Amino acid sequence: MRLYLELARTSFQQQFAYRAATLAGLFTNSIFGVMIASIFIAFYRSQGNDTVASWTPDQTVTLIWINQSLLMTVFIWGWWEVTRSIQSGAIVSELLKPFDYFSYWLSRDLGRAVAHFLLRGIPTFTVGAIFFDLLRPAGVAAAFGFLGSVTLAVMISFCLRFLSNLAGFWVLDHRGVSMMYVAIFNFFSGMLAPLDFLPDTVQTIARFLPFQAVLMVPNEIYLGRMPIWQGLGVQAIWIVLLTLLVKRILRAGEQKLVVQGG
Amino acid sequence: MDKVADFRNDLAVALRIALLRIRGQMQYRASFWMQIVGNFFVNIAEVLVTWSLFQHFDNLGGWSLEEVILLHGLAMVTFSLGDTLSNGVQSVPQMIREGTFDRNLVRPMSVYLQSVVSEVSARHFGHLTQGVLLLGIGLATAPIEWSVGRIAYLPVIILSGTAFFTALFTVEAIFAFWTVNGVEAVNAFTYGGSDLGQYPLHIFRRGLRLIFLWLVPIGFMTYYPALYLLDRADPLGLPRAASFVAPLAALLFCLVIRFGWRAALRRYTSTGS
Amino acid sequence: MTTQIQARDLSKRFERHTRRAGMVGAMRGLFDRASETVTAVDAVSFDVARGEIVGYIGPNGAGKSTTIKMLTGVLTPSSGEATVAGFTPWSERRKLAQQIGVVFGQRTQLWWDLPLIESLELLQHVYRVPEQRFRENFTMAAELLELGSFLNTPVRQLSLGQRMRGDLAAALLHDPQVLYLDEPTIGLDLVAKTNIREFLAHLNREAGVTILLTTHDLADIERLCKRIIVIDHGHIVHDGDLARLRDKIATERTMTVDFDDPPTLDDQLETRGMRLLDQTGQRVRVAFERSRLTAPDVLTALTEYGSIRDMSIEEPSIESIIQHIYKA
Repeated sequence: MRLYLELARTSFQQQFAYRAATLAGLFTNSIFGVMIASIFIAFYRSQGNDTVASWTPDQTVTLIWINQSLLMTVFIWGWWEVTRSIQSGAIVSELLKPFDYFSYWLSRDLGRAVAHFLLRGIPTFTVGAIFFDLLRPAGVAAAFGFLGSVTLAVMISFCLRFLSNLAGFWVLDHRGVSMMYVAIFNFFSGMLAPLDFLPDTVQTIARFLPFQAVLMVPNEIYLGRMPIWQGLGVQAIWIVLLTLLVKRILRAGEQKLVVQGG
Repeated sequence: MDKVADFRNDLAVALRIALLRIRGQMQYRASFWMQIVGNFFVNIAEVLVTWSLFQHFDNLGGWSLEEVILLHGLAMVTFSLGDTLSNGVQSVPQMIREGTFDRNLVRPMSVYLQSVVSEVSARHFGHLTQGVLLLGIGLATAPIEWSVGRIAYLPVIILSGTAFFTALFTVEAIFAFWTVNGVEAVNAFTYGGSDLGQYPLHIFRRGLRLIFLWLVPIGFMTYYPALYLLDRADPLGLPRAASFVAPLAALLFCLVIRFGWRAALRRYTSTGS
Repeated sequence: MTTQIQARDLSKRFERHTRRAGMVGAMRGLFDRASETVTAVDAVSFDVARGEIVGYIGPNGAGKSTTIKMLTGVLTPSSGEATVAGFTPWSERRKLAQQIGVVFGQRTQLWWDLPLIESLELLQHVYRVPEQRFRENFTMAAELLELGSFLNTPVRQLSLGQRMRGDLAAALLHDPQVLYLDEPTIGLDLVAKTNIREFLAHLNREAGVTILLTTHDLADIERLCKRIIVIDHGHIVHDGDLARLRDKIATERTMTVDFDDPPTLDDQLETRGMRLLDQTGQRVRVAFERSRLTAPDVLTALTEYGSIRDMSIEEPSIESIIQHIYKA
């Protein structure tokens, strides 16, 4: 346990070294936030600023900004460490090290996520609050529920990333996987719009996929649209399922390496 | 005159390199097609979301779905063409990190064109295909009064936008000569710019409009030309000529970027990193 | 003899950011950064005549590649001047490029995904080599470097040795006057190394190509370079042949003496400037500084411990000198 805490701490600290990247990221997230929020505001205006698909204009705009703020914290794309070590063959020796491979990367990722929440999440949301009327958390409980939910969201996102990395055991070029993953995530997570705006069938599918547990659930808890325990429960179930899946696929990948003789 | 001849030669060589490399890649058929297909899907989420939103909302700043699709098409086609042409230039930051950029400096050929062909990939064809489809749908369904002028102007819009996006993607490489870490900020202009170019400009706030019209003139590449095609008045009050400045704005923008690229090269040769 | 490469007081200074230690340091780094000036190359001067092969050696970070980068036009010096094949490298880079060939041992100049032959043909167009000339050079390179068996293989599938031969061929198609080689034999097996050395020697002899090469491999130097330039901490510490390098850098000689009977030595040896290396029976080995003592001095001193039957003096091996340089 000491080891994992130490890993998280170092990874947390590392993020502070990238000053330019932090500012650049804040800028980029903010531009996108302003853009997407403006699009929705224009859409709502055509409807006399009424509630649409159960979402008020303020709620939708708040969701857009929460998404932009959480983008780096849950870290959806651009992490291919495991694929890289599969491709280089380093994974063989890494799996033999005296710690759990999955927990190793998970603790590093949690450390990174805390740093990104502070460095990227809060500043981006602050920018949003300056330019738009963002809603506060639905209550004290919702605020704490939100923090808990973001933590679980990071773990789910990590599992999903880890899984797409493991595709490296079977697929040679990860760029294809990466593109597919981003497309699927953007569509089913509520990243671009609240899921309620999508056609009913898509919504039904999305509710049975883990992607909405990364962004929609924290948002709905924050806005008080979903009972806190229900949201956290759904997320916890996904973490259990995905962890089991990761372990199974990791084992299958190992088997494949053994069969091929590394 | 020498310089013109040099450039013509360089251009011919670059074309030769690009064609040979694409032919080489097509031999790995599975990977070649998977990248194109993957690239086709990567941006489709956004289009589907736009379509879904129009099921709930009447219009977007007074524009119909068909009109917005036309903008989507224009932005996507020019973006993906520029993306393809600047693919190699986009890999300059990586070449600098790996120390392979030096070789572009010890050969008697334009450093820029060498960078362009240092990484050739057909994967953006997927995105391009999607753009062409959307543009086709937009042109066919949006209320356009076709005239000779409109037909003739369409290729000009595409060429200007392509040149513009090629130059815009170069900005990222230019920044990388100063800081490898801050490069992400450029995404706000490239990807942000192309996203913004997919929507009617007048729905955005003043600050964004100023940035994407006068600093990064994406507005002159998609929105204003589209106003002409759709025969719409400009709610922002610019003169009608604004619809026709696309080639001029693209040219100006390219010149500015050329200046930046040269400064970047000067910096590289003085710091070596 | 015409000068092909001329460097005068060539210097290069860089600014480096430094990172602070610890958590507080990391947070401080968000707001202000410390930097320092590093002098990579410090007032380096030398001339290389047409047709010379010069070994440019020194430990990692001594300024070797920075010098080469300035002489190829990749880097502009902070101060100083240079002329290569009649051009100022950094201001006439494109013209110079036509006159030089560059091979970096670890990084290929070829196109990764193309067959070797296509890479070479593309370079013909890049350098605008007339067809006739290209055919001649290509035939010669293909023959001497034995490229035939892998001309149609994509570069990424070539072995390191094959790729190196391909890179050498690529650097020569346009008849360069000057060839820069950075570790041309690194990572190759013995046969491949020998072939490449023979090829370079041939090229230099037949075509009169001036060669400046950096290497860690003593055999490269022994086979190819009559002259070596040693750089350390940005300064040239030696410019001349190998023997003179030994005189300059290796000042300690070893004397082996056989006594008639095993002698009993005392610490008087040390005070007289000798160092006992080992003693086995009658045989004694001592080291001494050539600047302080002569061989007769040492011999005279040793006779005080018994009568001497035989003696020999060893100069340090060149290998140990080179090792010494690279360890510095």
